[in-house]
Amino acid sequence: MGRPVFRRAGAAVEARQHPRVAYLDRDRALVEAARRDPTRFDALYRKYLAQVYSYAYYELGDHHEAEDATERTFLQALAALPRFEERALPADGEGASTFRVWLFQIARNVVANQRRGHRRHRELPLETAAVIADPLDVEDRAAVRDEALAAWAAVGRLPADRRRALVLRFVEEMSTAEIAGVLGRSEGAVRVLIHRALRSVARDLETGRRR
Amino acid sequence: MTLTPHDGAEAEALVTDRYLESLLLAGERRAVDAPSDAALPPALRRAARRLSRDLVRVHPSFRFEERLAARLAEAAAAIQASESMTRAGQPLGPLPFVPADIADTADMADMADVGDTVAAILPSSPAALAAPPAVAPPAAAPPAAAPAPSPAAAPLSRPLIVGGALTSAALWIAGAAYLAWRRNRSSLGPMARAARIAHATRAAHATRAMDAARAAAGAAAAIHAAPAGSPVPD
Repeated sequence: MGRPVFRRAGAAVEARQHPRVAYLDRDRALVEAARRDPTRFDALYRKYLAQVYSYAYYELGDHHEAEDATERTFLQALAALPRFEERALPADGEGASTFRVWLFQIARNVVANQRRGHRRHRELPLETAAVIADPLDVEDRAAVRDEALAAWAAVGRLPADRRRALVLRFVEEMSTAEIAGVLGRSEGAVRVLIHRALRSVARDLETGRRR
Repeated sequence: MTLTPHDGAEAEALVTDRYLESLLLAGERRAVDAPSDAALPPALRRAARRLSRDLVRVHPSFRFEERLAARLAEAAAAIQASESMTRAGQPLGPLPFVPADIADTADMADMADVGDTVAAILPSSPAALAAPPAVAPPAAAPPAAAPAPSPAAAPLSRPLIVGGALTSAALWIAGAAYLAWRRNRSSLGPMARAARIAHATRAAHATRAMDAARAAAGAAAAIHAAPAGSPVPD
């Protein structure tokens, strides 16, 4: 049975040469606690809820669908936690995984399944745009909302893989290595993906500005 | 040495990546000024700044957060109970299947082994996820001539536990049958034959020795019981 992450050949030898303690995963203590006592998974859940939910929302464009996806992601993660293997060493190479990368791999699969199941029309993030604007300043609110909608629309027009990479970079603030782990690609490929996505969005926004 | 178009794209991508890294770090530090990088076209810089400002993280509702937290706590307790039952050696286990809407042969290949546990936790449809857990109505006394319920119409209440119990009962019956068969089976192996002959020989020896001892004891008793001067039996 394959693991969610893959270690490149020879990584084990190199790993022994690096003191593992120097590359502590920031979630290691929480993960270990949840492994010993599944009821302590709550701490990991609270920490990553907004991130997973945001990712699902940007992917599915619907709050209810995002809630479903989030629920499934965390239930699957809880069930699979004993089989999670942290591979956060530089020697582990591309696809090195921390808990966050592993969690987002599950989220990506869940969202992909859900998207296949419900081919619904994506909603524009009106609520999101309203949230980021100042609720007291009506003019500012409208302007920010319009700009946010334009940015969202530009991102929404991207091909799925570019949009996903951009959301992971900007919304989840993941590093290129982490995105590579989530998407199952090389770091170089992710960099090119993000660069092209950004170029498309820039062209789109510039065209909108001139209109 | 000349750069191929592919190398050129990677070099540009590296510059973009470096800029995004500094932009996101500046956002983390809440810096007022965005970093500038002359190597990157201004349009790209503007787009990056705009996206870092407008693509915000969305929080779910508090109600959803607490509902899912309760759900996870229940699932965690179920996992704990299942683990303790397994340690105690009780044959309680969910059937190894993944609900069709969760399992996916392409994307979920890595997660397939999660299926057995997930199946115990998750209901089989998104609608069921949203709905509160159903409570079965109390069973009414069946009429005398009630027709047998069809399998399709029969409600699937607690299929996993029922499935587990059936499996354990079947294993128990199979185990008992195997033991009975082993006990009655005549073994034809040479070692078994030799062991059986040795056992029979030892038993025959023991029987003969017992008989001889009994006879000797009888004779001794007769001698003691006979009056003095009476003839001793041969």
